[in-house]
Amino acid sequence: MRFKKRSYFYTIVLILICTPAHAAEVLTELGVEVRAYTKPGPPETHNGKLALSLQPEFTQQLEAQNLYLRFEPFFRLDQFDEERNHADIRELKALKVYDNWEIEGGIGQVFWGVAEGNHLVDIINQTDFLEGIDGEDKLGQPLLRFSRIFDQTSLSGFILPGFRERQFLGEESRFALPFPIDSENAQYESDKEDEHVDYALRYSGYAGLIDYGLSWFEGTARNPLFQPSATEPGVIVPFYEQIQRVGLDVQYTVDAWLWKLEAIRQSSELPSFSAYVGGLEYTFYNLHDGAYDLGMLIEHNYDSRGDPLTVFYQNDLFVAARFAFTDADSSAILAGAFIDLDDDSQIFRVEASKRIFGDATISLEAQVFSNTAKTNINSVFRDNDFLKLDLAWYF
Amino acid sequence: MKHHYIVSCVLLSACLLTGISAYAQTPEEKGLEIAVASDKRDSGWGSMRANMEMILEDRSGKTSTRKIESRQLEVEGDGDKSLSLFKEPRDVSGTAMLTFTHGLDPDDQWLYLPALKRVKRISSKNQSGPFMGSEFAFEDLGSQEVEKYAYKYLRDESCGDSLECYVSERYPQYENSGYSRQITWIDKAEYRPIRIEFYDRKNSLLKTLEFRAYNEHKGYWRADQFRMENHQTGKKTILNWQDYDFGVNLNARDFNKNALKRLM
Repeated sequence: MRFKKRSYFYTIVLILICTPAHAAEVLTELGVEVRAYTKPGPPETHNGKLALSLQPEFTQQLEAQNLYLRFEPFFRLDQFDEERNHADIRELKALKVYDNWEIEGGIGQVFWGVAEGNHLVDIINQTDFLEGIDGEDKLGQPLLRFSRIFDQTSLSGFILPGFRERQFLGEESRFALPFPIDSENAQYESDKEDEHVDYALRYSGYAGLIDYGLSWFEGTARNPLFQPSATEPGVIVPFYEQIQRVGLDVQYTVDAWLWKLEAIRQSSELPSFSAYVGGLEYTFYNLHDGAYDLGMLIEHNYDSRGDPLTVFYQNDLFVAARFAFTDADSSAILAGAFIDLDDDSQIFRVEASKRIFGDATISLEAQVFSNTAKTNINSVFRDNDFLKLDLAWYF
Repeated sequence: MKHHYIVSCVLLSACLLTGISAYAQTPEEKGLEIAVASDKRDSGWGSMRANMEMILEDRSGKTSTRKIESRQLEVEGDGDKSLSLFKEPRDVSGTAMLTFTHGLDPDDQWLYLPALKRVKRISSKNQSGPFMGSEFAFEDLGSQEVEKYAYKYLRDESCGDSLECYVSERYPQYENSGYSRQITWIDKAEYRPIRIEFYDRKNSLLKTLEFRAYNEHKGYWRADQFRMENHQTGKKTILNWQDYDFGVNLNARDFNKNALKRLM
């Protein structure tokens, strides 16, 4: 991991450390993960393993100055899989608020979008694939943000100096790609490589029951293409294009319904393409004398590139049900499935979680690949059905 | 002369009318009058901040605690705005909820999920659902606007620690309430809620809420403790309010989606 703009990051750390300790807040999450795979993987991989994670969060609010500071490192340690061991600065930033303006600088995380199964519009941060293929974990992104806040809307401009490359799992890893990847020698369309400065704009807000966002991004693609290495036969190197992308996200919230749409149009040297994810969510509240709420969700994913071997969601349905119990332990069960409507490949995921001992949580997750077509990108992962137990302590 | 006659007539009929209306004030009118007076006493505070500790107690006496920082903004001509920042349990620490209440119309509500750095608009239909697993429903903790209920005065009665109360019934007029009616005890001296009984949709007594340890902050009365008891399950929830601050001078800019993200 390297950070070129070291000086201003250190400034934020210094402010965090030097400001009066009584005002700083620390919240630490310690996670233990036990995983078991039901099918054997490649020779060097294991069928069962343990992993630890640590994520402390330091926050400081200097309210008189309207200044907010935040430092959130992340560490992952895996029993067998060295490629999965990593440290990242998820956030290290300062936020200053003036009347109708916000200025933020440092390493940050930014989320855009409304859909649940696929975060299509979201682009500022690189996905942390060492953490899982669900795309929910993100690497910290160096950024500078200026926002003008209006009554019901805001306009934000982002300057993104420095690019975070995607990290890939190796031969000892489950969920590794079936070919060796030389990410040390990643290729870039821009001759500035990972020092290319990217830009983004976002206008978002709400009007009555509608929340919306319009976004524009120009810079290095977060998703690499793969090309054969020029020097080593049989080895693949990631290639990062320069792209322009516009995005739209809309949610209409009425009664117990949430109607959602995310759409993008992306241009580069390659043919332009469009993609959307759209769907709806309905919640039945207080079932069984108020014992639980049941949320039902359906989302359709479309990508005009159309090839299920290179695109995860070219014509896929995501259906899910969420049981949220109204007990004091916040027990919940989430069951979901991705179904490819072109070749019928399926991924099923079930997750149950609850709070234990007042300040810890336990969750059990199962994931199964089913009916996987050889022409689907999921076929790469088909032997990775797993059961995972997560324990997390918060202190 | 003629002129005087008209004036006297007008005066006389005005007197008569006032007399008659005072005499014939219906229980509904008196109930509304008490609610309006109570609302008037509690308006003009602008903005406030307080810390809340919520203790959940089940039938066997086992307890669990939640801590929430609450910020509120009074809005003239509409429902109030509120921001709740969850501190405990620690696994939900950093989660925050922004609510714009709108009298009889559904509230606008957003949730900030810190793990994903995501602000999500959520449905506010679940008025009768439990707030964080407690005996308080969302509707019990929402802004209590006058127009949210129809009223009916019942009687005068002594209440609390040697106070005299107006006892009225009120009927939710907003959608998705879990109650058929509530009985409220409002003290005559300061128009503060002292006790509320909640009746479920089948009209059985469901819960009793007691407001204890009132203190005056810059002219506004706030109870330091809310005690809610569920008679059907035997569970209790106690809210202990601390650090009431009516001098914070918050404005609309502190209650929007951006403000939700910067809370920690």
